[in-house]
Amino acid sequence: MLTGQITSAILGIVLAGAIMFLVRRDHLHGPFALWWFGVAAATFVLGVFPSVVEWLGHVTGIAYAPVLPIIVGLSLILIRLLKLDVDRSKQERRIRRLTQKLAILEQELDSKRGTPATRPDIDDDAEA
Amino acid sequence: MMRRIRGPIRFLSMTYSPRPRLCSADCLAVIPARDEAATVAAVVAGVREALGCAVLVVDDASTDMTVARAREAGAQALRLPLCLGAWGATQAGIRFARRHGYSFVISLDADGQHVPASLPVLFASQASSGANVTIGTCVERLSRAKRIAWRYLRALTGLGLADFTSGLRLYDARAIEILAGPEASLLDFQDVGVLMLLAKNGLTIEETPVPMLPRREGHSRVFASWPVVARYLLHTTVLCIAQIDTGRRHAPPLAAGTAAKC
Repeated sequence: MLTGQITSAILGIVLAGAIMFLVRRDHLHGPFALWWFGVAAATFVLGVFPSVVEWLGHVTGIAYAPVLPIIVGLSLILIRLLKLDVDRSKQERRIRRLTQKLAILEQELDSKRGTPATRPDIDDDAEA
Repeated sequence: MMRRIRGPIRFLSMTYSPRPRLCSADCLAVIPARDEAATVAAVVAGVREALGCAVLVVDDASTDMTVARAREAGAQALRLPLCLGAWGATQAGIRFARRHGYSFVISLDADGQHVPASLPVLFASQASSGANVTIGTCVERLSRAKRIAWRYLRALTGLGLADFTSGLRLYDARAIEILAGPEASLLDFQDVGVLMLLAKNGLTIEETPVPMLPRREGHSRVFASWPVVARYLLHTTVLCIAQIDTGRRHAPPLAAGTAAKC
């Protein structure tokens, strides 16, 4: 039978370990690594020392302290999602403009060469 | 505005046939096309005959022989490796025009619904109004659903236009400069978002009645089915709410019809 403290410690250590593993293996880059490093540290501390939550609840004046990490966690997830969509829009814009520029340059190359691509029927860029 | 546009279109189509007053080297006809191999050649030939200008077909990742047919008919062609939609293709053509120093872009659909012989009407209208964007509209051809949708969009945007999605448009150099920029790259349709962007920058938009034919092949991308229409109107509504003051801020010059050239 596990006590609550051990369960939360296991969860915190496993999550922090998984994130650290991914950061160290270079699967997460730059600012992402920093963000997830912070998340790993927080889960580790909160998992191993749940009394921190009680203390935080006391400091912030929240009567039911366990709700605090849930609220903070949800808010961070929402912010992260928002940032993700902002980044996705930026990337979409770049992809569209690159696609257009690629087509323009291809046309200019063809007209400079005087002949269209040798095998126009082969199009390995086409989406499946 | 509405009364003016509902004018005698058949009469116009018979009497208007002046060659455009601009040099053909100044204008590029941009034809976005996706799987339009059946009609694109006739459209290209028609435009070359009517305007004598360079024609650029922007192939939106077609899987058929659209590019080959277009080149055979004497057009230049851009091949987009990814499907960007009608506006993405048109914008590619506009960026090409800007890069190559054209001062006008006329865009039209590849499905043959725009009559090439009526293209000079747009130039005549542009010459008299000096508008930055001239839209060719065929009010008679609008379906009931479109009429309702457009009334809604007129109220929402404050732009006094009869047809928001008409692909038949003449853009001048200022419009080209704005539409070639990154700000226009995330728009999904060539209609409200594009027009609001232009209005926001203080450009004048004019409509002129032109005759149109029913599509020979394919169907409207926006008005394909009711769920698509609903999604389109929802997207457009959000876009309009985000830019709620744009159209109204410039409502007077748009409604006045013959605004001075910017």
